[in-house]
Amino acid sequence: MRRQPELKTRKLLAGPYLFWAVSFIIIPLLMIVYYGLTDTDGAFTLMNLAKMAEPENLKALGLALLLSLVSTLFCLILAYPLAMILSEKNVNQTSFIVLIFILPMWMNFLLRTLAWQTLLEKNGVINSILEFFHLPEQSLINTPAAIVLGMVYNFLPFMVLPIYNVLSKIDKDVIYAARDLGANGLQTFTKIILPLSVPGIISGITMVFVPSLTTFVISDLLGGSKILLIGNVIEQEFKQGSNWNVGSGLSLVLMIFIIASMALIVKYDKEGEGTAF
Amino acid sequence: MIKTAAKKVYLALIFLILYAPILTLMVLSFNNTKTRSRWNGFTGKWYVQLFHNEDIMNALYTTLIIALLSALIATLIGTAAALGIQAMKPRIRTLFMGITNIPMLNADIVTGISLMLLFIAFRFTLGFSTILLAHITFNIPYVILSVMPKLRQTSKSTYEAALDLGASPVYAFFKVVLPDIMPGIFSGFLLAFTMSLDDFVITHFTKGPGVDTLSTKIYSEVRKGIKPEMYALSTIMFITVLLLLMLINMSPQNAEIRRTKRIHFGNLQKFSRVFFHRVIPAAIIAVIITGGFVYSSSGTGSSGRQVIVYNWGDYLNPDIIDLFEEETGIHVVYEEYETNEIMYPKVQSGAIAYDAVCPSDYMVQRMIENDLLAEINFDNIPNIKYIDDIYMDLSTEFDEGNKYSVPYLWGTVGILYNKTMVDEPVDSWGILWNEKYKDSILMQDSVRDAFGVALKYLGYSLNSTDLDELEAAKKLLIEQKPLVQAYVVDQVRDKMIGNEAALGVIYSGEALYCQEENPDLEYVIPKEGSNLWIDSWVIPKNARNKENAEAFINFLCRPDIAKMNFEYITYSIPNSAGRALIENDWMRNSTIAFPDISQLENCETFRFLGDENEVIYNELWREVKSS
Repeated sequence: MRRQPELKTRKLLAGPYLFWAVSFIIIPLLMIVYYGLTDTDGAFTLMNLAKMAEPENLKALGLALLLSLVSTLFCLILAYPLAMILSEKNVNQTSFIVLIFILPMWMNFLLRTLAWQTLLEKNGVINSILEFFHLPEQSLINTPAAIVLGMVYNFLPFMVLPIYNVLSKIDKDVIYAARDLGANGLQTFTKIILPLSVPGIISGITMVFVPSLTTFVISDLLGGSKILLIGNVIEQEFKQGSNWNVGSGLSLVLMIFIIASMALIVKYDKEGEGTAF
Repeated sequence: MIKTAAKKVYLALIFLILYAPILTLMVLSFNNTKTRSRWNGFTGKWYVQLFHNEDIMNALYTTLIIALLSALIATLIGTAAALGIQAMKPRIRTLFMGITNIPMLNADIVTGISLMLLFIAFRFTLGFSTILLAHITFNIPYVILSVMPKLRQTSKSTYEAALDLGASPVYAFFKVVLPDIMPGIFSGFLLAFTMSLDDFVITHFTKGPGVDTLSTKIYSEVRKGIKPEMYALSTIMFITVLLLLMLINMSPQNAEIRRTKRIHFGNLQKFSRVFFHRVIPAAIIAVIITGGFVYSSSGTGSSGRQVIVYNWGDYLNPDIIDLFEEETGIHVVYEEYETNEIMYPKVQSGAIAYDAVCPSDYMVQRMIENDLLAEINFDNIPNIKYIDDIYMDLSTEFDEGNKYSVPYLWGTVGILYNKTMVDEPVDSWGILWNEKYKDSILMQDSVRDAFGVALKYLGYSLNSTDLDELEAAKKLLIEQKPLVQAYVVDQVRDKMIGNEAALGVIYSGEALYCQEENPDLEYVIPKEGSNLWIDSWVIPKNARNKENAEAFINFLCRPDIAKMNFEYITYSIPNSAGRALIENDWMRNSTIAFPDISQLENCETFRFLGDENEVIYNELWREVKSS
C-alpha cells in the first residue's frame, strides 16, 4: 500500500536528468538534423546529404570505414586473450586492472598520440633502435598503418574492459561442468566462454568502431594531414569551410553507422552487462 | 609453464605498447631543448618554468575545475536519475537507458557539433560555462551506468524492512541504500572526472576565446611543437595519480596480511584509511578551488577593461602582453589560430566578438569586401608614423586608402633546405617535384600557399582564377603528393631542425629561427617568384572594445616593442626604427628577414578572389588532399 506512491515520488528523481537530456542531448541532435536538411537560406534540401556521394567525401568515408574496421579487428584480436588472462587473475584485483587501463588517460590524449610521432619518426626512437641493430629503416609515420596504430592504442581499453567484465562474471561452475562432461579446452572455449562473452564483444566493437570511424585528431597527428578521413572532412566544414549545413548533412549520414552500432548493442546486450566500466 | 610464460610475455607486450608513449613524454620532459625531435642532454628547468608559465597553469586550473564541477554535478544528477529510472516500468526504463547511451556511443565530433549549434542558436556566449555544460552532459551517462548495476544488487527487502521499522523513506535511503551504492557512485564520479580531464573533441567545439583546457591548449601548440613545460606538467600529474592509486591499492590487501597488520599497526591502519579516503580528496579539492579562485581573479582583472585579441599561433612575444597590461591596465584576452581560413568563419559567425585580429593581406581584403571590419581611428594610433611608407603603399593593394589595417609583420614564402641532404643547387620550385627527395618534402597545409607554389612553378600568377591554370596546378600537386612527407603549417620548423626532411616550404620568419637552431639549413626564394605577404591588425565591426584594440595596436607599433617582438619570433617588422634597435648584427642585416623589396620582382601579394573562386580553390584543394 505504501509502496505505490513511494515509487511515484522516486521516479521524480529522474526529472532533472530528463530535463537535462532533452535540453542537451535531444535538442542538439535535432539541431543537426535541421541544419543538415536545410541550405544556408533555411530552405529544405537534400543537397547536404548528397554531398557524401562526391568522390572525395566518398573516398574519405571509405578510408575511414576501412581503417576503423581494421583497428577494431586488431583491438579484438589483442584484447580477447588479454581479457582472458586478466579474468583468470584474482577477483580482488578488478579495480586495479581497470585502473591500469584508465590511468593513461591522466596523461592527455593528444600528448600520448603526439608521443607516437616521436616514436615513429624517421629519426625517431623505433628507427634508432632498428639502426642500432643494423636493420633497415622503416618509414612508419604519416602512413595509414600509423593511423591504425594510433586508433588501436587509444581505443584498446574500450575493447578490453567490456570483455573483461563479461568474462569475469562467467560462473566458474559452468566451465567446470563442461569439463566434467568431457569437453576439451577448445570446446569449452567455443561452446561456453565465447557465446557467453558476446555482449562484451559487441559492446567493445562499438566502443572502438565509432570513435575510430569519426576521429579527426589521430589522422591529423599521425597521418601528416596527407590522409583525409571523414572526421577531418566534417571538422573542416565546421572550423574552416564555415559551411555548417554541409557539415551537419555529412554528420547525419555518418550517424547511420552510429545508429546501426547502437541497434547492435540493444540486440545483443540487453542487460547492459557488457558496459566498459 | 610455457603457457604461463607466454601469458606473461603477452601481458608485458601490451603494457609496453600502452605505456611506451607515456615513458617517451616523461623522457622528453627532461630534454634540454625545445624541439621534440632531438635529445640534447638532461635538464630539470622545464619543471621550474612550468610554475611561472601562467598560460599553462591557467589551463590546468580550468581543466581541473571543469572536471571537478562537471563530475560533481553529473554525480548528483546521475545518481538521482539512476534511482528514478530504477523505479520505472521496464519499457520506460529501456527508453531512458537508450537516451543515456546516446552520448556514450555517439561520436564525440557529432556531440560536440550538436552542442555548439545549440549554444550558438540560443545565444550562449561560448566560454567556460558552455564547456562545463557540455562536460556535464557527457559525464552523466558514466555515473548512471556505474550506479545502476549496484542499485540492481541492493536488496529491496532491507529497504522495506527499514520502512516497516518506522524509518522515513529519506532516512532509510541514507542509512540503507546509499551505503550499498556508494562504491558505484564513487567510481562513477572518478570516471566522470577522468573523462572530463581527457576530453578534447567536445571542448574543441564548445570553447570560447580566452578559455583553454589543457587539451585545447595542447592542440593549439601541436602545429609548432609542444612547449616542454607541458611534458613536465603531464609527468607530474601522471606520477601524482599513480602514487595515490598505488597507496590506495596497498590498503585493501588480502585479509591475512591485514589482520596481522591490524595487530601491529591497528591505529595506523585506521589513520591511513581516513587519510586516503577523506584527507587527500578533501585536500585536492581545496587546492583546486582556492587555486581556481586565485587564478581566475588574477585572470579577468578587476577594472573590467579588456581587449580580445585573436592572433596567429606563437606570433607575439608574451612579455609584450604583460607590458601592455601593466602600462594601460587593459586586460588582454588572447586566442590563437593556425590559418586565415580557420580564423575567418569564427569572426564571420559573430559568435565571439573579437576586438583585434591579425589576418593576412588577401583575408583583410575579403573581410573588407564582406563588410566585417570597422574603420580604424588613426588618431588613436599616433605610432603609425613608425611604419615605413613602403609597407603602407603595399597595403593599399588590399586595403585601399589604408583605412582598415595596420601592418604588423611581413615576409616571403620560400624553400628551406638542408645543405647536407640536398646536392644540387636549389633555385626553383621544381626541386619539390624531384623523385630523389621522396618522403623528404614538407608542403604547406593551407590552400593558397600550396596552390601558390604550383601556380608560380607553372609561371602563372598566384592570384589566378583561370580554371585551366588552376586545373594544371591541381594536377601538379596531385603528382607531387606521393613525394610529400607531410602537409604541415608550423611543424616545418621542428621537422627541419630535427633533420626529418630535406626540403620544406616555409615563411621567411621561421627560416631565421631554424638557421639559428640548425646551421645546415638555408633559405631561398625560388627564381620563378613567390608570395610577398603582410599580416595586418584589423578591428572587426562587432568589436566591443574598439578603443582598447586601437591602444593595443598602437602599442605594437612602438619601435622598442616591435624590436622586442622581432627578437622573439624573428618575423620581419615593417618598422625601420624598430629594426635599428636590434642588437644582433646578423639578424639586423639578414637578407632573409629584411630583403630589399625592390629586388623581389616576381613576387606577388595574395588577393582575395571572391567567394566563388574561394569555393573553387577549396574544392580543388580537397581533391588534392583526398587523392
